[in-house]
Amino acid sequence: MPLDQQAVSEDAQLVARSLKQDHEAFGQLIDRHAPAIVNLAYRMVGNRAEAEDLAQESFLTAFKALSTFRADSKFSTWLYRIAANKCKDWLRTKRPGQGPYDLDADEVLDSHVAEHRTPEILLSQQQVAQELEQAIQRLPPLYREAFVLKHIEGLSYEEMEEILSVNGDTLKMRVYKGRLQLSRELASLNLSR
Amino acid sequence: MNDHELLIQRFLDQNLNPEERVAFLQAVDADTTLRRRWLNLEMVVAEATRLPRITPSPKFLQELKASLAPPSPSWWERMYAAVTTPRTLEWNLAGAAAAACVAIVSVAGLFAVISPRVVEVQVPAIPAQTIATSTKQEEPKVFVRLVLLQPGARSVSVAGDFNGWDPTQTKLERSDGGVWTATIPLKPGRYQYMFVIDGKQWIADPLAAEEATDGFGAQNAVLDVAI
Repeated sequence: MPLDQQAVSEDAQLVARSLKQDHEAFGQLIDRHAPAIVNLAYRMVGNRAEAEDLAQESFLTAFKALSTFRADSKFSTWLYRIAANKCKDWLRTKRPGQGPYDLDADEVLDSHVAEHRTPEILLSQQQVAQELEQAIQRLPPLYREAFVLKHIEGLSYEEMEEILSVNGDTLKMRVYKGRLQLSRELASLNLSR
Repeated sequence: MNDHELLIQRFLDQNLNPEERVAFLQAVDADTTLRRRWLNLEMVVAEATRLPRITPSPKFLQELKASLAPPSPSWWERMYAAVTTPRTLEWNLAGAAAAACVAIVSVAGLFAVISPRVVEVQVPAIPAQTIATSTKQEEPKVFVRLVLLQPGARSVSVAGDFNGWDPTQTKLERSDGGVWTATIPLKPGRYQYMFVIDGKQWIADPLAAEEATDGFGAQNAVLDVAI
């Protein structure tokens, strides 16, 4: 059995045991999926404490709604969906003043990128990572969500469609705009130094 | 999104077929602006994949699991559950026999412990009148020895008031010298009696201190018994 399929099968067994009030089984599900959920939340809200709170809320919601989980779906996908919604709710209520970014308005920056320069040349790897993290936090939530799931969590567009309930072409467009925005931000950083 | 941008995005999403990939790489080789845009985007993707991942703190995991653990039932809830939970008793013949033996030994032991206590329990006193009735003592009796010298007799008995004048009731025993004796217990009182020789000859006691007429022309011996 492929590793991914084996993990899915083990998740299904743990879910079945959890439904029989086996709390240790749900504890194992927490151990298996908490890192991914905490990371997704951290990339979405940019704060570790808030990320862990959101992850905790996500697991509590999943635990209470476990009987509604459909066995034909991956538990990780279902959990990602709960966590993504928690994060968007948090961004909507806790950061009411933050509106969506106008990506097209910054397109002119792209033409100023020096041909012989790349972010890697002028910035150290640590600096690039730090700048990239901050730039991700400045992405509009929907683009941030799509970019994080695609390039940080490494999910496929098919999985993302299931998690976010959004058409694949729309998701590709969001990822594209996210990548473009981040590229421009890092390029402008090099120009300013 | 123009054609070049679309190609870059499809390249990054790995959606190009081999022919399209070759065409794209030839285009970036010839077009420095396209190459720069592609490299910048490729760099973002590469850097994003190696961003440090945070590890959930042990405290977070511990608190999360604790919040999902069922609340500990109260003492009363545990008692209620213990009493009301339906139970199924599984048994076999060996187990039942062993249980029966234990029960028998236990009951026997219980009786062994309880018995002496029953003796020690004080019984309410019986009314004095009843006691007097049930424990009524017999009147004291005096043993009287009767003696008759009659060497020629084969049997001697005595009949009197004390035995309903029945000559077969009280027989005298013969001793040496033809002396016949009998010792009989009598209540204090006054009795008349006669000896009966060989079952047919009635005579009064020649040693009696007093005699009384029997109303038929003969004399009965009289015996006064006193304590």
